Amino acid sequence: MGQLRRAYLGPISEVAWRLPGWPTRLLAAFSLAERGSMLDMLAAADATPRREMRRKYFLHALDEGRHAGIFASRVRALSPPGNISRAQAATEDAGLLQGHGIVAGETLFARLGEMDFLAFVFVAEADAVEQFHVYLDRRLPDPDTTAALRDILKDESFHVSYSKLECDKYRREGQPIDHAIRLARWRRVKEGWMRFTRDFGERMSGVWLLVLYFLVIWPFRLVARLERGGWQRAPARPTSALAAARLEG
Amino acid sequence: MPAYILGISALYHDAAAVLLRDGVVVGAAQEERFSRVKHDAAMPRRAAAWCLEQAGITAADLDYLVFYEKPLRKFERILATSVATFPRSWGSFPRQMRAWLGDKLWLRTNLCATFGVRSDRLLFCEHHLSHAASAFYASPHEKAAVLAVDGVGEWATTSLWRGDGSALEPVSEVRFPHSLGLLYSTITAHLGFAVNEGEYKVMGMAAYGKPAFRQELDRLLKLDPAGGFELDLDYFSFHYHPTRSGSPALEALLGPPRFPGAPFAPAVAPGDASAQQIVESQRWADIAASAQAQVEDAMLHLVRYAKGAVGTDALCLAGGVALNSVANRRVAAEGPFAHVWVQPAAGDAGGAMGAAMWAWHAVLGNPRQPPLARMDLGRVNGPARSSEMLTDLGAKFTEPADPGASAAAELADGKVIGWVEGGDEWGPRALGHRSILADPRSTEVKDHVNARVKYRELFRPFAPAVTAAAAADWFDIPAAAAEPARWMLSTAGVHEARQATIPAVVHVDGSARVQVVDPVASPAFHQLLVEFNKLSGVPVVLNTSFNLKGEPMVSSTVDAMASFVRSGLDVLYIDGLRVERPK
Repeated sequence: MGQLRRAYLGPISEVAWRLPGWPTRLLAAFSLAERGSMLDMLAAADATPRREMRRKYFLHALDEGRHAGIFASRVRALSPPGNISRAQAATEDAGLLQGHGIVAGETLFARLGEMDFLAFVFVAEADAVEQFHVYLDRRLPDPDTTAALRDILKDESFHVSYSKLECDKYRREGQPIDHAIRLARWRRVKEGWMRFTRDFGERMSGVWLLVLYFLVIWPFRLVARLERGGWQRAPARPTSALAAARLEG
Repeated sequence: MPAYILGISALYHDAAAVLLRDGVVVGAAQEERFSRVKHDAAMPRRAAAWCLEQAGITAADLDYLVFYEKPLRKFERILATSVATFPRSWGSFPRQMRAWLGDKLWLRTNLCATFGVRSDRLLFCEHHLSHAASAFYASPHEKAAVLAVDGVGEWATTSLWRGDGSALEPVSEVRFPHSLGLLYSTITAHLGFAVNEGEYKVMGMAAYGKPAFRQELDRLLKLDPAGGFELDLDYFSFHYHPTRSGSPALEALLGPPRFPGAPFAPAVAPGDASAQQIVESQRWADIAASAQAQVEDAMLHLVRYAKGAVGTDALCLAGGVALNSVANRRVAAEGPFAHVWVQPAAGDAGGAMGAAMWAWHAVLGNPRQPPLARMDLGRVNGPARSSEMLTDLGAKFTEPADPGASAAAELADGKVIGWVEGGDEWGPRALGHRSILADPRSTEVKDHVNARVKYRELFRPFAPAVTAAAAADWFDIPAAAAEPARWMLSTAGVHEARQATIPAVVHVDGSARVQVVDPVASPAFHQLLVEFNKLSGVPVVLNTSFNLKGEPMVSSTVDAMASFVRSGLDVLYIDGLRVERPK
């Protein structure tokens, strides 16, 4: 384990797991991440040209789906009875998946290609194993969740081993797998930074837009009205359908 | 040289792509079936790529790419509404502007970059026109009144059109914020379900209640004598609040909202719930029943106006509200039209089809094409690909000589099966191509499939599929609903004498959302029904979509296998191959 990573992950975890409401938020985030991984692995199983990898990706996907369920059930268990936390709603509402980092339009496998994808899987799973070890060492956050983490850790360790073996195969073939692994590590750091800057940018732009709203919008309120109800005549349209179709795009 | 038009809907929910070759659908697919993100709103790259692949062309061969709405007009509505609701819109304004300024406003550039088409090939069709076109041009009716009812497009929330041959003329519209769709969504949210997802659940819940809140709900919606309607906006906040659709006044009127996931135990099916839970559940069911009755009455009000204004024998329906199968039944049974046709993908996905069809007919001036006769318009795996996949996944499978007969025998034996055959269904209903099937004669099967197979709420009903020849013997389908019933878009009464025979598919109110299966639209599924009838004397099977809770319907062989393994299904049939459950 990287000393630096252990140095910051431990104290951060101690604080994060003890903040009110945070255990469920973190577990919900894990659940969604695992669900996202399941989709990535299923897409890889579908698309890989290496037929011997198909079953491995598929079984990996099933593990991730199971983990998502375990984390979701821990969120449910830790949520106040008779109420539902936002975190719990998130684990039960697939619609929220889009807000949790899954890049739609192109699968991770399609974006990276097989070797880089495997390098990414190896790095991500190894990081997860490290992270879970930190939680287990510190018995965070509660005995039942710790038991669940221990269960998941077995699978994650297996994922590290199989992806490492596959990376080793590439190495023996003389493929630039070490470069791919370094790239995967760098990509994780870069994506973390991008997420932070995006969130920060969104907050800042939100502030500026709010200022704009209160400074600029209000005078127009004096003349603006909501539409009335009931049927209204349809607005006039250009006589040429082609001309109409080119407008307001 | 054939003309190719690609229709695209995206960026709100249910993104989809539809490709026409000389006006005929080559492929129609929703992005969620590829991305596995339910209601995926992202640009439908993979759905579009699949459509192009079906036709053996590239984006360079497209004559037009048509987007299903006018983004600038929609932006105008959002901006104008923010201004008109100042200062209550302070929370939603920054969010909306960020989304629009960051992405949606530059749609022209985005579409060109994503799909690789030139800017001069891009067209934009109004949202409601896309809906109307999806219903009218796909229908068998030369002349029809066309009604689109949904949440909102650019400005229109309800619109009426006159369809005649290849012309589709606007008649009138109801404008935002007065919206039947958003009224129903507000009640959906009040009942603890996700908007744009839980509306079906409200419909299912409604059957357990009585319209005891009708008087209260009538304060929200006024039907005017001129045939339109108006919302009392004091009860709503969707037009200014970023996340909430109902106002505090709504809570004061209907009582506290239901927490998402709270157990539902109405008086007729209390289970082991406490007295307080039963009372609360009954209140939710009564609200659902009241909202459902209200939307049905409103739809009848609108179609009567449509008949008066357009005067045809046929009515075509589209827009999300047209997926309310209970309302569709009343429109067919009590409405003034002799024929009703509903676009099977009546939600935003259908907009992709409508936009493309509108360009073909209205922009290029081409005559009508034959109506849509099949709905398995999406991705096909095929026996060869499925066989290779199953081998690679290590699945144990056989190739029965007659898959329909084999599956029917297993159903009669009490097994719950996954059934994947041909292309993905177009629209949200499983029509025997990506279905979970079971014997409807068993009383326990409904709870079993809900709890152990699909992991969803126990109160949700299941639909029956019946052979066309036997439909009238088992179900009371209004004559005008004959077409919607082919695509599971209308409910029907189950004949009283038959209800005890097929308890698993009879809802608590004696109705069922039936699919009438004919041998042309779904030959393999029809054959299965015929075989099941031979064994059981019942030409009906329980048919529900092949997906797990929170996931879209399965599409590929890998998806089907993953859902099979993670569910309590007994056996899987995929493209004629029988897959055994792994130990």
